[in-house]
Amino acid sequence: MPVTRSRREFLRDMGLSAAALPFVMNLPSLGFANQTQRKKRIVFIFSPNGIVPNDFWPDEVGENFRLKPILTPLEPFKKQMLVLHGVCDRIRGDGDGHMRGIGCLLTGIELFPGNIQGGSDTPAGWSKGISIDQEIKNFLQKNPATRTRFGSLELGVMVPERADTWTRWSYAGPNKPLTPIDDPYQLFNKLYGRAKDNQALASVLDAIQDDLKKVSEQVDAADKRLLDEHAAFVRDMERELREQQAAAKEHPVPQLEPGIRRDNDNMPKISQTQLDLLVQSFVADFARVATYQITNSVGNARMKWLGVDEGHHTLSHEPDSNLPAQEKLVKINRWYCEQVAYLAKRLAETPEPGGPGSLLDNTLIVWTNELGKGNSHTLDNIPFVLVGGGLDFKMGRSLKYGKVPHNRLLMAFAHAFGHEIKTFGNPSFCRDGVLTGLV
Amino acid sequence: MTHTLMKTAASWVALVVFAPALVAENRTGEQIYKQMCARCHGAKGEGTKRYELPLVGDRSVAQLAKLIDRTMPEGDPDALDAEGARRVAEYIYDAFYSPDAQARLNPPRIELARLTVKQYRNSIADLIGSFRPAPKPDGRTGLRGEYYNARNFQPKARLLDRIDPEVNFDFGKSGPNDQFDVHQFCIRWEGSVWAPETGLYEFVVRTDHATRLWVNDLRTPLIDRFVKSGSDTEFAEPIFLLGGRAYPIRLEFFKAKQGVDDSKKNPNSPPKPAFISLNWRRPHRAIEVIPNRFLTPQRFPEVGVVSVPFPPDDRSLGWERGTTVSKEWDNATTEGALEAAAYIVANLNELAGLQPRDPDRTAKIRAFCRTYAERAFRQPLSDAEKAFYIDRPFEAAGGDTELALKRVVLLVLKSPRFLYPNARRAADSYAIATRLAYTLWDGPPDKELLDAAAANQLTDRDELLKHAERLLQDPRGKAKVHEFLLTWLKLDQVKELVKDKKRFPDFDAALVNDLLTSLELFLHDVMWSPTSDFRQLLLADETYLNERLAKFYGYSVAPEKGFKKVTFESRDRSGILTHPYMLAALAYESESSPIHRGVYIGRGLLGIAIRPPMEAFTPLAPELHPNLTTRERVTLQTQPMACASCHGIMNPLGFALENFDAVGRFRDKERGKTIDATGSYETRAGKTVTFSGAKQLAQFLADSEETHYAFAQQAFHFFVKQPVRAYGLTKPEDLRKMFAENNLNMRKLIVEIAVMAAMTAPDPPPVDRDSPSRDKR
Repeated sequence: MPVTRSRREFLRDMGLSAAALPFVMNLPSLGFANQTQRKKRIVFIFSPNGIVPNDFWPDEVGENFRLKPILTPLEPFKKQMLVLHGVCDRIRGDGDGHMRGIGCLLTGIELFPGNIQGGSDTPAGWSKGISIDQEIKNFLQKNPATRTRFGSLELGVMVPERADTWTRWSYAGPNKPLTPIDDPYQLFNKLYGRAKDNQALASVLDAIQDDLKKVSEQVDAADKRLLDEHAAFVRDMERELREQQAAAKEHPVPQLEPGIRRDNDNMPKISQTQLDLLVQSFVADFARVATYQITNSVGNARMKWLGVDEGHHTLSHEPDSNLPAQEKLVKINRWYCEQVAYLAKRLAETPEPGGPGSLLDNTLIVWTNELGKGNSHTLDNIPFVLVGGGLDFKMGRSLKYGKVPHNRLLMAFAHAFGHEIKTFGNPSFCRDGVLTGLV
Repeated sequence: MTHTLMKTAASWVALVVFAPALVAENRTGEQIYKQMCARCHGAKGEGTKRYELPLVGDRSVAQLAKLIDRTMPEGDPDALDAEGARRVAEYIYDAFYSPDAQARLNPPRIELARLTVKQYRNSIADLIGSFRPAPKPDGRTGLRGEYYNARNFQPKARLLDRIDPEVNFDFGKSGPNDQFDVHQFCIRWEGSVWAPETGLYEFVVRTDHATRLWVNDLRTPLIDRFVKSGSDTEFAEPIFLLGGRAYPIRLEFFKAKQGVDDSKKNPNSPPKPAFISLNWRRPHRAIEVIPNRFLTPQRFPEVGVVSVPFPPDDRSLGWERGTTVSKEWDNATTEGALEAAAYIVANLNELAGLQPRDPDRTAKIRAFCRTYAERAFRQPLSDAEKAFYIDRPFEAAGGDTELALKRVVLLVLKSPRFLYPNARRAADSYAIATRLAYTLWDGPPDKELLDAAAANQLTDRDELLKHAERLLQDPRGKAKVHEFLLTWLKLDQVKELVKDKKRFPDFDAALVNDLLTSLELFLHDVMWSPTSDFRQLLLADETYLNERLAKFYGYSVAPEKGFKKVTFESRDRSGILTHPYMLAALAYESESSPIHRGVYIGRGLLGIAIRPPMEAFTPLAPELHPNLTTRERVTLQTQPMACASCHGIMNPLGFALENFDAVGRFRDKERGKTIDATGSYETRAGKTVTFSGAKQLAQFLADSEETHYAFAQQAFHFFVKQPVRAYGLTKPEDLRKMFAENNLNMRKLIVEIAVMAAMTAPDPPPVDRDSPSRDKR
């Protein structure tokens, strides 16, 4: 039955089966078993179709820089942010700019030849490699001290219901794109379904005991033994559920507002709900790696709530000379930036459980995009805005690099987790090693 | 080995001292036993430290007498003469040795049993299925194909509709026919796929283009390769399916580019080749194109399959039964209930026939819950039960209908009334319906049977017979029957069949798969033929072969596609015993094994409880005895007295199949010597039967009452999952007679077993202690 696939996958991923199980109902404890060392987290946020460079990149380099209009929502976090100019996606090969833009962004490697035809260039398929978020997740999951219930969460907002090169950026491996969850209820179910199930289960256990007693009265003595044994197991379960519920008191299941419709006009609400659930997941230590994909490459969100009626992708093709279009693009990109800022704010105001500081002190947000600029489809100067203290980078700076391949930055994320990979993605872009100047 | 010798020597010394040259004279069997046997075997045959195994078994008095005369007392068989041995045999047979004696000492009863794992999964699937349409299989095979001359399924581009027997196409650089654009077309196949057995299947699509496959769940693809990416051409995903059920299936194939349409930009590009095939790996089988007989264009509804892992059921008596519970099992039923609850909640509108904004939603969900509980418990709810299972959870949930529904589903699926189908020890129609359905389907009664129960028709034997026949013919009945035949052949516990690559280079996984198909077709043929004659399983002179098998086994069959019925070329082949799969399974990697074959014939066909050897032996290596045939090597190795009591039975049975080598090929000679395929058997009636070769052996077995008795008893245990003597000490013999009177019709046997079991309420225990059976056969 596909509806509960996530639970089975969880059991499988943990190397457990029901037959050999010490009772997995006690899920949260798996998440809290590992609090000895400082937790580090990373969140990748995607927004599509390039930015407006003049209204994005700070003019200055170093600690004294001024935020341009798109980045102003991050003003409160200026001391905790890093703006990286000059990091380029140098991956070429099959697929058009958008496809390579999203498909190679976190993987740093070419796309396979395939049957998806873009507006130009040759058709392509999925990426040839794992993405950096999954690489880091696998690294953390291998070690009991950093292992969490899910390892990573793949989230999204209004991701189209079709799987193709333009709608996926996180990959478990070559040809293994991961589907982001963009429905808050589905996400809630993944995170808290089991807890809800256990509540329902606990509520019927008394009745089950009564039932066993009644049936037991109808069978003869030799058969009664079997039912007595059965009843003892039900009592065991009752006790385990009670213990588990007591343990879970510190992390109550959040309430989710009912009836959030999944449509374009509701994007702000969906986005906020998803980010709230993400913050809750960090509090409960369900995962330490996350991706957050707003729409998709070529995404055509129509931000009517900002007074923009045209779709984002359509607008992104307008020339620089079309000033009203550029103004709208600034508004759109600023809205994306507001999502980053909202997450940063929620993390900053949430204390780190069992440790000093806030969640933001132990989390790095990486906001990026599949293109440098929409109307040129360039993969140079891919936006990379980093917020938070999670990876101990030296924050509060604007940096300008000279056309460095983004593979080197991806490697830097892994190294900051202690995962010292020598190359990532296409090795020919890793020759100069980890990107320097971040720490 | 040394240890055994010392033990033998010790008991020999003891005998010399305490029992010098004892002859029968006027002593009774009991007296002789106490004097000569009890020291090692215990006063009641329970065993001692000297010889731990209890004296229980299923040999006849005559067989026991011969054995005792030949081998006992251990080390000095001459100490007891033939008459003395006969008296001891008679005594122990009645006192404790025979199954009937054991049944008197320890009366078997119809035990309370939980659902077995298979029954649990079937029960939930059929419970959910009872809220969906249940189309009658119309017998058609193949899949419905829709062919579109476009890159996606535009209705106006649909050029061709047809039934394809299977999906295995190599289009080359052309289209499905001349009307199609060679650059882009797409195909959608729909219908259902039959799962012949329960287990983990793997569906495999092979194609050089884009594809999507749905199995059972038509919303989420099992395989999604709509994006063609890289050069992989094989895509496989596992799925757990329950046997005897059809699952909706849809396969899509796209020879086209997706995304932006650039076909006008590149009008003259050279066409690429294209192929697609729909394959599977059945549980423990090799990959094959899904055969025509498992595909149907008929659309069946989705099946609610619980795939939670369970600990395996007890099989210590040779059949699965639910007479033990464990914590793991209890946890698994919880997981299963949660999985089912999530499924029901997710599919509620469809299952309960609800509109999304139904004004009577709560009332309708409540009504659904009641029907659901009644079907889960296989009987109507009393008012008190309705209050307990339905009303209370609804009231406690305080208006949250979905929560109430979930609680009802959990409460019902964790209830002993669901988990123990024979907990209600009643003789009413509902209890009868339940027993009948679990006997024939390992699943719950269907609507028709429950309706008959409601009309109280099932206490009538003739009515019940009609239902039993209907249930047996249902695909679920056929699946259980097939599983039984495999169990009877001892092929249910699958192990990989591999042979010496040097001697038999073509004996590979694909060939083994073909052999299994051939066996399956043969069993199906005999079982479902008009006479369903048991003897035909042993005597048929035909088998099924395809090209590969014909070539390997040296048959000159017309090289056609698929399996074809072929008459055995060798006059020495006969039925199932000489089916190459059986012969190969009962053999070593490069040599035949008369012992394995003899053990199967003894245990499986004649129903003799042959014990495993006291210690493990490695067969004598053929290289070390280059001048000995297999028969001679086996004889050499099993000569010692300790081996003879069992090998004296097994070896002569197995020798009759020596004309067949390790892969089941016919041979006249081995190592330059002519095969000696003579063999013998001492019947329970005390007669020595001799035979030479497979055909004579098969004829003996087909006519033997022992074989019929064993088959009927094994059938009873497999289907009913309760000890047959719990239904009366004469039941095993009654079954044999009934089987014989019905011309050994296997279907009739199973139907009669099912009806008998269904009409027997477990309470009070039916064992009649005052009239012990004296049947010694």
